[in-house]
Amino acid sequence: MITLENRLPAAHRFKSILPAGKFAGAIPPLVALVAALAIFVVLALVQGSTIDGLINALTKGVFGNPNYLQQVLTKAIPLVLAAVAVTIPARAGLVNVGGEGQLIMGGIVATGVGLALGSSLTGPLVWVVSAAGGALAGALWGGICAALRVWFNAPEGVTTLLMNFIALDIMLFLLYQPWKDPNGSGQPQSRPLEDSAILPMIPGTRISTALLVVIVVVFAAWWLMNKTSWGFKLTVAGGNSEVATRSGLSTVRLSLESMLLGGALAGLGGALNLLGVEGQLRPDVTATFGFVAFLAAFVCRNKVLPTAIVATVFAAILVASNPLQLRAGLDGSATYVLLGLLCLGLAVAPFTARRSS
Amino acid sequence: MSKVGLSLTVAAVAGVTVLTGCSATAGGDDEITVGVIMVGSENDAGYNQAVSDAATALDAQEGVNVIKADQVAENNSVTDTMQSMVDQGAEVIFATSYGYHQYAVDFAKSHPDVVVMHQSGFYEGDSIPDNFGTYWSAGYELVSLGGIAAGEATESDKIGFIYAFPVAQTIANINAFHLGAASVNPNVTTSLVNTSDWCDPVKQKQAVASLTSQGVDVFSQHQDCQSTVIQAAKDADAKVVGYHYDAADIAGDAWLTGSSWNWAPVMIDIVELAQKDEFTGSEYNDNWLGMLSDGNSSLTLADFGPSVDDATKSMIEEHKASIEAGEESIFTGPIKCQDGSLLVAEGETATYADINGFDCLVEGVVGTLPKS
Amino acid sequence: MITIILAGAIATGTAILLPALGELITERAGITNLGTEGAMLGGALAGVMLGIKTGSPWLGILGAIVIGALVSALFAWSVVIRRANQLAAGLIIWFLMLGLTSVIGRSYNGQVLDPIGTLAIPLLSEIPVLGPILFDQSPLVYLGYILIGVIGWVLARTRVGLKVRATGERPLVVAAAGSQPHRIQLLATVIGGGLAGLGGAYLSVGTVGNWSTDMTNGYGFVAVAVVMFSAWRVSWVTVGSVLFGAAIVTASQLQAHGFAINQYLLDALPYVLTLVILVVISARRTSQPEALRAALAPN
Repeated sequence: MITLENRLPAAHRFKSILPAGKFAGAIPPLVALVAALAIFVVLALVQGSTIDGLINALTKGVFGNPNYLQQVLTKAIPLVLAAVAVTIPARAGLVNVGGEGQLIMGGIVATGVGLALGSSLTGPLVWVVSAAGGALAGALWGGICAALRVWFNAPEGVTTLLMNFIALDIMLFLLYQPWKDPNGSGQPQSRPLEDSAILPMIPGTRISTALLVVIVVVFAAWWLMNKTSWGFKLTVAGGNSEVATRSGLSTVRLSLESMLLGGALAGLGGALNLLGVEGQLRPDVTATFGFVAFLAAFVCRNKVLPTAIVATVFAAILVASNPLQLRAGLDGSATYVLLGLLCLGLAVAPFTARRSS
Repeated sequence: MSKVGLSLTVAAVAGVTVLTGCSATAGGDDEITVGVIMVGSENDAGYNQAVSDAATALDAQEGVNVIKADQVAENNSVTDTMQSMVDQGAEVIFATSYGYHQYAVDFAKSHPDVVVMHQSGFYEGDSIPDNFGTYWSAGYELVSLGGIAAGEATESDKIGFIYAFPVAQTIANINAFHLGAASVNPNVTTSLVNTSDWCDPVKQKQAVASLTSQGVDVFSQHQDCQSTVIQAAKDADAKVVGYHYDAADIAGDAWLTGSSWNWAPVMIDIVELAQKDEFTGSEYNDNWLGMLSDGNSSLTLADFGPSVDDATKSMIEEHKASIEAGEESIFTGPIKCQDGSLLVAEGETATYADINGFDCLVEGVVGTLPKS
Repeated sequence: MITIILAGAIATGTAILLPALGELITERAGITNLGTEGAMLGGALAGVMLGIKTGSPWLGILGAIVIGALVSALFAWSVVIRRANQLAAGLIIWFLMLGLTSVIGRSYNGQVLDPIGTLAIPLLSEIPVLGPILFDQSPLVYLGYILIGVIGWVLARTRVGLKVRATGERPLVVAAAGSQPHRIQLLATVIGGGLAGLGGAYLSVGTVGNWSTDMTNGYGFVAVAVVMFSAWRVSWVTVGSVLFGAAIVTASQLQAHGFAINQYLLDALPYVLTLVILVVISARRTSQPEALRAALAPN
């Protein structure tokens, strides 16, 4: 990216003109993380929690809890895909903050398809068609913003954000009107998907097989980005569009494709969340996931595999909200503070000190 | 991401726990742990605070230990919360938000030794699980009494109702409010504004402003939090009927009456039954509805405000007594929808199930419901 | 009804105008602050806390400005000194403030204070038609009128304003001229945050008189979008804010009249409008500050 520094041919000349900020030296990321944790603990204590309670929450509620891992992996299903959905357009130089909306659209279409087909088709076919429908919906939702960027220069960082609100209203409309469950006592929910439309659990666990799909897709995305010529072209186009164009690459097409693929992944995440976890569309099924996922991608500098892992870690933090509330007496929103502090720490003390352009 | 860093942190914490050897504070043998889950903030001076207050009263009972969680979203997270509570030994769980219903049902089915109660829902399946029940109270009874107060108090013959979403109870409340007002003031109309949010103060304020500009001079609402509506009404020299929580001190002169929840008796009852293993087959192992006529309504009528005259007070008390005696109900027909069709036939009284299925607004209500 | 809608549009629009004016200054200096929503939240809560504690809503307003400025100072430090990615840092600040205000504000949830309310300006408010619309508003709305003029004038006509704009366009020229772009950016962001805090307090202390979790409901993001589609001009920021306010108020008004409008369509309408206008303006591409364009790229 074009930064203040590298507008000048020689970095040292910049330094002499613009004095370095007081705290501009490198901070080891580990220090930042520890500092963030320390601040969090202090805030917790100020709010009335105790060290005992916090430790209790960690030992009994997190590490000593046999259900914890399953809960985390379940939450990770939409989160990981939404996070990887950010990395692909990022490689092309596009900012995708539309995870919330793409997750929602994926959930909507998966529900619609699942409800429509659930009784006529069986087994894997319903799953595939519903999931594919969700992915397409997400792709479309992201693709709109990509098109607006490519043809009208509308900043996708803002358009994807606005589309989130619109997607939410579309979902509310559907849930309160045409799709409202007639047997739901007026609850804003769709009819439940038939059992045949729901993905099975991994045998012996309470984790949906959707997780397996996620793992496969993540590796496919990694492979696509790092081992194929398309991925390479994307990197070139995102790095320096002049070089890309001179090399004969169509940055327009690559931008569109990357955003379509990113949206598709988030849409798939939303679909799998419906098909594998929730089974019924409700307003809050993926609330805040899109933003948490974006932060995970950001923290990992948009590298696919680390993003998937950090997204899972973030899922773990979100799930930890329960023991933190129940055992340590923290507020229900405390985990958002924790996530914010950790991400802020990593934002100001990133793992790679060099800003690549 | 530095995996080294993460592993070090994990190792450090594990080391600390081993060294300190802390254990959880376990309940005594006879002590029963009860979990209470709320969707909003437990300090909202409204719906969730009423639950929180009841949980505190429950906790004060001997042999009961309550663990609370608030701000739990209406998605799969609540399943995790219920599981966490069970992990801590909870044997009874109160899931108190409307949107938790399906999760509560599913959890009850997968955890047969935990009593799971859903507040405000309605089980529509064939046979209710042995360890599950819903509980609510006929809010509309008291809302209709508030409506009488509103009908008497209004000078413009226009009263307003601000709601969040067109869910079953809200529709019932709107209808009851209007019917109550109309029973003493046949010219009254009830204008509606919805905020698409259970607690958005800005939208609530705008709703009040819009209605005031229409000439509305008495307000009520079905929101989780009510401070804004009350204050805004007060500022507009309008009167207000509260809901969920007694907010007379905020409303001052603007207060007519209101209704507030007292869930403690119901919760205590249920926990006692659970402790004695007598929950299954009890009245709560069902869609339980507290009613004035049964003497077990969890909703109580708030005190009257200073502007309510004695005649109105006694009229309302009379109606209340007669509802308690089973002699009247606000939803006794004939009641017509806005389009003229019959909601409740002449001479019939709507049942809980009927009321839960109301899908139209009654004549005299100004506004529409989204078509589903 | 039109008068009421227009008056309401200005009243509601001010909640967007104040942070938007702040964001305008910030973006002119080359920084995009998505954390504006976080600054608004902080200001809204601080206003209520201080207002209740001291009994004076105006002290609350002052406190809100300070807190908003502090929140954006944190953002500014992250982005200008520590060189974090602006969009991500903004979202992080927002997330952090969402959580912090929820936690810190929980005991204030049910408490109320007397909102500042409206103040009709004598004489002016009696002008037919326009009087009640423009001059029977909250004092903070009048402050908004003043700010429009001041900020517009400062940005366009003063050396300070020139420096700010130059920082956004050609930071090196600014440096060569002896000023320090970093400092200007920091200051611009902090001022923007103060205005955002003011906007938040306008909602909590000025309008409704209480605090509730996430009460700003995305208005900070709307403010950022308004700035972008206003082509970074004060006049258009004003128009955009009022339009958005009108869209919100119209929904309420139509319902109160009993019109059968689709509530979700109305809820979405402001965002759709913003999107459309943003696209149209972006297509022209002429007026975006250079450094801003660079800042909108990822990492």
